Amino acid sequence: MMADFSTIGLTMAFSIFIGVGFGYYLDNKVFDGATKPWFTLIFLAFGVAAAFLNLYRVATRKDLKDGH
Amino acid sequence: MEHPILFISVILEALGMPVPHAAPAFGVFWDSHQIFSPHMTYTFLVIAFLIIMPKLTMGKIEMIPGKGQNFWEAIISGMEGFMAENMGKEGARMMFPMLATFAFYILVANMIGLMPGFMSPTSNLNITLACTLIVFCTTHILGFKFHGLNYYKHFLGPVWWLIPLIAPIEIISHMARILSLSIRLFGNIMAKETLLGILFILAGAYFAPLPILCLGVFVSIVQALVFVLLSILYFSASMEHAH
Repeated sequence: MMADFSTIGLTMAFSIFIGVGFGYYLDNKVFDGATKPWFTLIFLAFGVAAAFLNLYRVATRKDLKDGH
Repeated sequence: MEHPILFISVILEALGMPVPHAAPAFGVFWDSHQIFSPHMTYTFLVIAFLIIMPKLTMGKIEMIPGKGQNFWEAIISGMEGFMAENMGKEGARMMFPMLATFAFYILVANMIGLMPGFMSPTSNLNITLACTLIVFCTTHILGFKFHGLNYYKHFLGPVWWLIPLIAPIEIISHMARILSLSIRLFGNIMAKETLLGILFILAGAYFAPLPILCLGVFVSIVQALVFVLLSILYFSASMEHAH
């Protein structure tokens, strides 16, 4: 069980990081700064959402419910 | 930076092999000398150890197992039971060779760095990233194998109007798996190696690294277990039906 919960922190950080990184890439490399803050912000939101979705999945896993 | 003495590198250099002392320059994708770099040579050492060691200890396989065979049978059947609990008998039987290889390889690779003159191959990000990419690709191959083209439904969520929201989130969380799986193993083992090196330099004569050596054994076992357990979870998630 410790193994599962040790992933929470790292996955949360990396989800947000990947979101921001991809948005930054879109803004600065693909659209050359024309859309400057928007893709970064949108993908930041996606990253945060992914982090919380992962948290929710860990919390509602089937095999954790029946008293392990 | 001062290099630790790695005996395979010393031997190879004495034999006149070109042992590289740094990673290739940025943008260079193929450097054949890197095959003699420490993390590669110690990987080969671990592979050789894992091939030779069971051969030596097990002897001939018999109906009534002897000492060595009993030991290996206990480990292997314990591992298979552990996998069957998490991903079902069928899946465990199918994925067992790969996951057991990962378990043994990562365990031995983590532990080997505790000896002076050896280095953990897993304290190099290239090795852990390679392991992780194998797991990542296998996850999706398994998904396509079990669901065919319907596998894409795993990425779309329960209702159609949520698709633009769920799809990027799912893709981001799959990418985060690669990072967290590889960097956790790399970070833990690199920290152990670096800490041991520093303590040896500072107060090696007074057994200062001793507590960290004990912790290193613990960390090595836990990290190998975590890597395999997470791979099992990812595999079983891609095998089951979309929610």
